[in-house]
Amino acid sequence: MRGLDFPTDPNLIVGLDRADDAGVYRITDNLAIIQTVDFFTPIVDDPYWFGQIAAANALSDIYAMGGIPKTAMNIVAFPLKKMPIDILRRIIEGGLDKLREADVLLVGGHSIEDDEIKYGLSATGFVHPEQVITKRNLRAGDRLILTKPLGTGIISTAIKGGLASQETIQAITRLMATLNRTAAEAMKRYPVHACTDITGYGLVGHLAEMLIGSGFGIRLVAGNIPIIPEAVEYAAMGMIPGGAYKNKNFRESLVNFETPIDPRIQDLLFDPQTSGGLLISLSEQASTKLLAELKEKGIEASAVIGEVVTQPVEEILIGP
Amino acid sequence: MRIIDARGLACPGPVLEAKASLGKGPTDTIKVIVDNEAAQHNVSRFLVHHGFEAKTHREGNDFHVIGSFKKGFSAVPAEEPEKKPGLKKIMVMVATDRMGFGDDELGLKLMANFIKTLNEIGPELWRLIFVNNGVKLTIKNSEVLPSLKAYEKNGLQILVCGTCLTHFKLLDEKQVGETTNMLDIVTAMQVADKVINI
Repeated sequence: MRGLDFPTDPNLIVGLDRADDAGVYRITDNLAIIQTVDFFTPIVDDPYWFGQIAAANALSDIYAMGGIPKTAMNIVAFPLKKMPIDILRRIIEGGLDKLREADVLLVGGHSIEDDEIKYGLSATGFVHPEQVITKRNLRAGDRLILTKPLGTGIISTAIKGGLASQETIQAITRLMATLNRTAAEAMKRYPVHACTDITGYGLVGHLAEMLIGSGFGIRLVAGNIPIIPEAVEYAAMGMIPGGAYKNKNFRESLVNFETPIDPRIQDLLFDPQTSGGLLISLSEQASTKLLAELKEKGIEASAVIGEVVTQPVEEILIGP
Repeated sequence: MRIIDARGLACPGPVLEAKASLGKGPTDTIKVIVDNEAAQHNVSRFLVHHGFEAKTHREGNDFHVIGSFKKGFSAVPAEEPEKKPGLKKIMVMVATDRMGFGDDELGLKLMANFIKTLNEIGPELWRLIFVNNGVKLTIKNSEVLPSLKAYEKNGLQILVCGTCLTHFKLLDEKQVGETTNMLDIVTAMQVADKVINI
């Protein structure tokens, strides 16, 4: 999108120039709307669960910005001539059930005929203009909490290859269909400095967006990063999605390792996630309390994965 | 040399082609031709994971990934040589460190006794696989470690789930058997004549 000129407005709190999770526009002094959209091709075979995952994924940006999603619209591409319409019905049912769980209303949508299935939603939420949480407000000494384990990209590739067990498929399906709502509600009770959600750019890519221009660096503790155990195994077998290599080529120069780290764990740092967890930056003291609360609320994979450091600037240092 | 043309395939296609080829029988060298970097890395990994040394060179827009099988590689190959004609292959899969439910202390004792008595199956006992809590039987201070080591010395294949060892942070504690993955376990189940689950 570089080189294009985007009109702006004094009420535009977050627009395209900042590459954040969603757009935020002030309506009154007490109210802003958050708008976001996401859709993709099926990531699991079960249409109902694909619908749920797509909806959880679409709402995630609003949660990451501290907002409350309110309404949503379906975006559908479907090969009507090749596939029974029941499949589409199941996808939309899955999406609708997930919206219901999130207390979000489905208010419309649009569908086209296409060679392959695509489904997603555009979603709108509310937030107080002064309580918008963006990516870009790291502070020295902050701790970083990640709320879901990494590895969905690698496991999805293993699913495509017919190598993943039913057990693994079920586990990551549930993980991807889990709303970031509970984590976001807990987060909002603490003075959070910055937050984003982990999606296609992988952990390092999203950390980079928080980091660039901050004047700080990030030190991660490799052993604390939550990962889906099976993903390590599939990574060794070569089940790494093309997107992970793209992410690596793009951001590798920011990353330095203090000690040699298992290469399979390194792959997970770049693995593109679908409906990944929140990545939350807040003071050490607040992080201890938030982590305890997340665990208590059943978000068991949550972990403090690193901290914001003053040196080296704009680098991601990875220690054991 | 076996040659596979996997150009035009997106991940995980090229790896699956290589896997299918190795599944047909062992080979000393294999060449997989791919046309994108991701596939090149993934095929290299796959070959290394299966005991090959992998090298890549570029030919125009293509990558030629060449795998040479390393002699004496310790991992279990995907295809097993026949044990002995006429003998059944019995695989025992142990997913717990204690036998049955109820009294844990009793369960631990029963499991120790079970492992020690397993050799009564005789030469048809083909593989012993430990997953989940079962991997705890293969680490330091396990009561059955001497029995397992003796079995291994006598040629019984003992496989221990790597994901499980990682999960329990016991990778460095394992004292017996080869670390394995789900693909090897599933393949073993398919090849076995009988699978006993504990």
